[in-house]
Amino acid sequence: MENTDQSSPPAKLIELGRLPVNPLIFWVVVTAALVVAIILILNATGVVVGVNWLLLVPVAAYLFIIGLFLAYLSKFYRERNRLMLERVRDEQIKLAEFKKLNQDLENYAKQLFDKDFELTLANKRLQNLERAKSKFVSVTTHQLRTPLAAIKWTFHMLLGGSLGKITAEQKNFLQKGYDSTQRIITIINDLLNVDYIEADKTDYNFLPVNLAELIDGIIFEFTNQVDSKKIKLSFHQPTSVLPKVAADPVKISMLLENLLDNAIKYTSAGGRVTISLSDARINSAQSSVEVIVADTGIGILPAERDKIFHRFFRGSNAIQLKPDGTGLGLFIAQDIVEKHGGQIWFESQLGEGTNFHFTLPVFGAPPAKV
Amino acid sequence: MDTEKTNGENKKTILIVEDDEFLRSLTAKRIEKEGYGVEVAVDGENAITVLETLKPDLILLDLLLPGKDGFEVLKKIRSNEAVKAVPVIIFSNLGQKEDIEKAKSLGVDDFLIKANFTLDDVVAKINKLIAQ
Repeated sequence: MENTDQSSPPAKLIELGRLPVNPLIFWVVVTAALVVAIILILNATGVVVGVNWLLLVPVAAYLFIIGLFLAYLSKFYRERNRLMLERVRDEQIKLAEFKKLNQDLENYAKQLFDKDFELTLANKRLQNLERAKSKFVSVTTHQLRTPLAAIKWTFHMLLGGSLGKITAEQKNFLQKGYDSTQRIITIINDLLNVDYIEADKTDYNFLPVNLAELIDGIIFEFTNQVDSKKIKLSFHQPTSVLPKVAADPVKISMLLENLLDNAIKYTSAGGRVTISLSDARINSAQSSVEVIVADTGIGILPAERDKIFHRFFRGSNAIQLKPDGTGLGLFIAQDIVEKHGGQIWFESQLGEGTNFHFTLPVFGAPPAKV
Repeated sequence: MDTEKTNGENKKTILIVEDDEFLRSLTAKRIEKEGYGVEVAVDGENAITVLETLKPDLILLDLLLPGKDGFEVLKKIRSNEAVKAVPVIIFSNLGQKEDIEKAKSLGVDDFLIKANFTLDDVVAKINKLIAQ
């Protein structure tokens, strides 16, 4: 694409610096011719009659010396010319290189500009897609909630016997229907929450919260579930009154519900789920309250322990036990704890159970150093 | 519906604003069973008309309604001297932070997401608010 003949010298300029014959021979001939010509002219015009031929010798010598000097000058200029030409040629080569570099640069700049344009366009498309997805998620989920509410309420009314007596078998089936509906509603709520986390739209409203009271209320909600599964759910109240934590009660309820729901789901009949609270003083300046949700469930496989908080991840033993589920509960739980400036972790023994711990900073305590 | 009930001695009246017919009838049935008088409105416009003549003891208000939505009805309620002090429970399937914040700023007493509650829970909330 570029001119590749830049190495060949510029021929025309070189020729200009060269005489056709050796300048010395040239000048001997020219001097002799001049001397003869002068004599002939002087004789013909009759200005000088009877020439002293000896006088012509210094004239010829003088002309010859001048000639030599001129020849030397000519050689000197030729040499200078040659050097200059070499420089010109070098400059021309450099110029050609610069031109090529410049052209390359221009090409790169153009490519860069094209890429930038492409990326901007792609980014815009992604943003639109993201908006469409968010809108789709929230519209669909809201639309789904209406018929689900109708199904749930109907099951609930039938179960409560307000529409007539039902047999034990009917009750069993209706309960399954109710539980399944409840699961779909939970999944929808989880999806909505994740959409919110990813769109970073979750606002936190931190208040002084008495965790013991909050846990009492949540445990009450799970009474039916644990009774029907024959699991013992208990709350070990702390021995002393713990300070209030800085928390968003709605979010902390969701967090505890997620942890309890998991604990109950993956613990079989006869098992235990226990919540306990303790004062986790990290140092004298900052303290937090630690919550432990312990179960005697299936546990988490060692190989899967570092993935358990990942979005949509579900333990393979959990999937085997309960095929339905979103794998979002712990992802949401982690996000909630982190937004509070707390920490969440667990220890687990396969087949023995899992203990989930999380900490929340005490209200009014200075923020934790990271 | 049965307007005469509202004039009964102790009977408290609940106004249900809900456009979905089935949800409306289930809700009405459950609340009537609790011993309350029930009035219904099928959309926002209807609710505003009903409130011109009726002063319920509590309003159960949906947000997504054809025509005037629940937020507009709520604004009307809070600017109407006759009913401005009546407790309002938002009972909707909207439940994003923005919706809850907006409803709170307009003055609601509770915000319940239909799918997350049973009618027994709703009745419990109504009982609590009426007792106050």
